Amino acid sequence: MNSGGLILIVGSLLATAVAFIWLAFKLENGGVGKPKAKGTQADQLGDAAKEDVEHIFNTEFREELRNRGRLHFEKILGENAMFLQQDLRQTTTQLNDYMRAEITRTLQEEFKKYEQSIVDAKQIALDSIEKTVATIEQQRQFLEQQMKSETDSQKDRLITRFENEMATIVNHYVLQAIGSQIDVTDQMDFILAEMQANKQAIVEDIKRGTT
Amino acid sequence: MERLKLSSIVISPADVARLRRELVGLNDFFVDAQARQTGTAMRLPKLTRILNQLAKENNVNLLEESDRNRLSEALGAIYEDAPTLHISFASEPSPKALEKLIVWVRGNIHPQALVQVGLQPTVAVGCFLRTPNKAFDMSLRASLKKSQPQLVKLIDGAINGR
Repeated sequence: MNSGGLILIVGSLLATAVAFIWLAFKLENGGVGKPKAKGTQADQLGDAAKEDVEHIFNTEFREELRNRGRLHFEKILGENAMFLQQDLRQTTTQLNDYMRAEITRTLQEEFKKYEQSIVDAKQIALDSIEKTVATIEQQRQFLEQQMKSETDSQKDRLITRFENEMATIVNHYVLQAIGSQIDVTDQMDFILAEMQANKQAIVEDIKRGTT
Repeated sequence: MERLKLSSIVISPADVARLRRELVGLNDFFVDAQARQTGTAMRLPKLTRILNQLAKENNVNLLEESDRNRLSEALGAIYEDAPTLHISFASEPSPKALEKLIVWVRGNIHPQALVQVGLQPTVAVGCFLRTPNKAFDMSLRASLKKSQPQLVKLIDGAINGR
């Protein structure tokens, strides 16, 4: 049942209640009008009829009728009130059911949306974390590569420098170790061997210098 | 005079210059001796071992003026023209070592070559030789530099325990 139907039912019930109340008021105030002044014959006949009526429907009879009417009205009112109460109860029950169903449905929908939102947020968070992890991993790899490259470069530089200066270093160590103990006489074999190795160049240079 | 035979104890141009001065001094002595008055005492000059040996090896009679002059001329020519090798050592070489060196130089390079000795502490082991136009690093450092691959191999072996 939709809200339009519900409004229609409530409206019809209210209209019925208002009709009953109006009828009760009418009966209470006396629905018959007062006799008008004498004038025409018709009026006189009317008045006579009225008198007869009043004679027939005297106060006791009217009181009796009124009582009967009141009782009947009360009975009808009671029945209608009961029906109205039943209807109201039924309507209330239906309304409760409807409201419960609607609220449940709405809550379920909201919960579903909420769950979906949570799932989406979770997914977004996971995606974000994955992206961050990937970025960090990329940065780590880049840094690792850079550091490795830098280390290799530094190592190569050190090795190259060491190799370039190796002769000087070894010479320095030899000098530190035995420098004070080596006499030129002891080195003479080495010196003569070196001179022998360079003999040709020395002779040629001397010849060029003397010519 | 035929080519002068230099003794192994005549090493540097300074030695040749000293010999020439000594010969001049000897000539002066003989001039003085001729001009002296009879009966005055003569102070004989004392000749150095180098001059004596040089004269002996070249059959020069130092009492003869002509021999002295020839020797002086020859020494002058050597002083002017003989090739000079500049050799630097880390420390002062002993005379024995220098003699060994000069013998080798005159036997292999030039019979009248002179050697001027210098000091260069950075040489450490070996020597540094300069000829008129070239320089020869004969130090241990240069030798190590030449044999660098072998040195690298040795160091590598020492590091890796091979």
